[in-house]
Amino acid sequence: MRQLSEGAEARVYATSVFGKEAVAKVRHAKAYRIKVLDETLRKTRTRREARAMARAAEAGVRVPELLGLGMFSIYMEKVKGKLLKDTTGARVRYGEIGRMLAKMHGADVIHGDFTPANIMISSSGPCVIDFGLAEIGESMEGKAIDLLLIKRSIGKREYSELSKAYSKAYADSKKIFARLADIERRGRYQIRTLA
Amino acid sequence: MLTIGIESSAHTFGVGIVDKGRVLANEKLMYDVGSRGMIPSKVAETHVKNARTVIRMALDKAKVEMRDIEGVGYTRGPGIGACLQVGQLAAKTIAAGLGVKIVPVNHAVAHAEITKHEAGFGDPITLYVSGGNSQLLKLAKGPSPHYQILGETFDIGVGNMLDAFAREIKLKPAWGSTVARFAANGKYIEMPYTVKGMDFAFTGLLTYASSLAGKESKEDLCYSIQETSFAMLCEATERALLLTNSDELCVCGGVAQSSRLKEMLASVCKEHGMRFGFAANEFNADNGGMIAYVAERMLRNGFSVPLERCDIEQRYRIDRAVVY
Repeated sequence: MRQLSEGAEARVYATSVFGKEAVAKVRHAKAYRIKVLDETLRKTRTRREARAMARAAEAGVRVPELLGLGMFSIYMEKVKGKLLKDTTGARVRYGEIGRMLAKMHGADVIHGDFTPANIMISSSGPCVIDFGLAEIGESMEGKAIDLLLIKRSIGKREYSELSKAYSKAYADSKKIFARLADIERRGRYQIRTLA
Repeated sequence: MLTIGIESSAHTFGVGIVDKGRVLANEKLMYDVGSRGMIPSKVAETHVKNARTVIRMALDKAKVEMRDIEGVGYTRGPGIGACLQVGQLAAKTIAAGLGVKIVPVNHAVAHAEITKHEAGFGDPITLYVSGGNSQLLKLAKGPSPHYQILGETFDIGVGNMLDAFAREIKLKPAWGSTVARFAANGKYIEMPYTVKGMDFAFTGLLTYASSLAGKESKEDLCYSIQETSFAMLCEATERALLLTNSDELCVCGGVAQSSRLKEMLASVCKEHGMRFGFAANEFNADNGGMIAYVAERMLRNGFSVPLERCDIEQRYRIDRAVVY
């Protein structure tokens, strides 16, 4: 298999499944940690990632099709297109991205790394990739951070288009925006002064 | 420029003497934490008692006299207020008495800088792990260079976590290093593992491990809490190294004395062909040498602070300290 990329947690390889072009994301062993901890982490994370992807897909979000699951690896469709971060000048439908995020959050899937490096613009519209840090849960904080990450990495006009579509498509959006405002006020570092 | 540096942010009163980047003396006396942890007023009292002795020890070791001192540095923070005040007062008294320049130093900056100096590295990622702190740092260059925090603990430092656990299961002495000794003969029990990107949290792990006190053997608990917490640090560190395209890693702070942590970090670096460096243990524990080292450099670069503005700050975050 030809290696496509190397992350801290996993390597991505080009492969094929039933004659279909595919990628394999493999969480490789880490020599620094003891075997039992290493395997538990890799196993639970692989399972969690696949589950989040499946759940997002079920909610109507375009994600790479799951083709197979190993103990430490996920085989998925190779999505053709350009990453949002590389689409300079092209017309991107940010409203569509906002609606996708709304569907994801409606199904309690928190992406965990919702940035232009993880949104693929394909001929059939935007597709969300890399659920490696995703979690399933109702955490408002987690959902608000998904919004915050994308807000910080796209333009004002683009975000306004995205957030409008998000509010229309997600009943709980008001609460999430309130939490987002709260996080922004808080800043990353709260400096506590002692009385 | 013969510079004296005074450190008193926690249980250690340390005095270092540095000349042209060379540490001539690095002496210290410590408050005995015992099984109760630190009581600020008691620690400060001990520092007051020890201050003159440690200063004398350092001057003797460096074979210099007080009147030869050309500059003074002290820890401004972060640390325990009552303790910081003792070092601050000693430093101001020396500076005023000799009529020499004085400069406040950030404790975390001092750990990171002395380690970079000792390792001979240029632009590393630094994992700073001590009692109160656990942070991943990178120096941001520019007109006002300062350390950027890439990731850090959401709650308590890894050192405090291990010390608190040692007290919880009644190890003697109640230190993280005792946890390491017990860990040598343990088996693994699964424990909560919390890493979010380059940040991490330790209270869940501490609570869980403490809840097993008496139910599982001390050896197994020590082994598991140590392996879990260090693996968390390594994962966040690996991510920071790859995201910043760095090829050097330093580890510093009290917990950097752990040989198991260093072994694990070396393994992370080896996988990616990166260089790994650390300083001698005397610089990983709290010490005055690192304060003197940074103070001398700042003074040589023309940076000093008027006596009346020499204050302390308990929560002096590393990202607000300019590194000259």
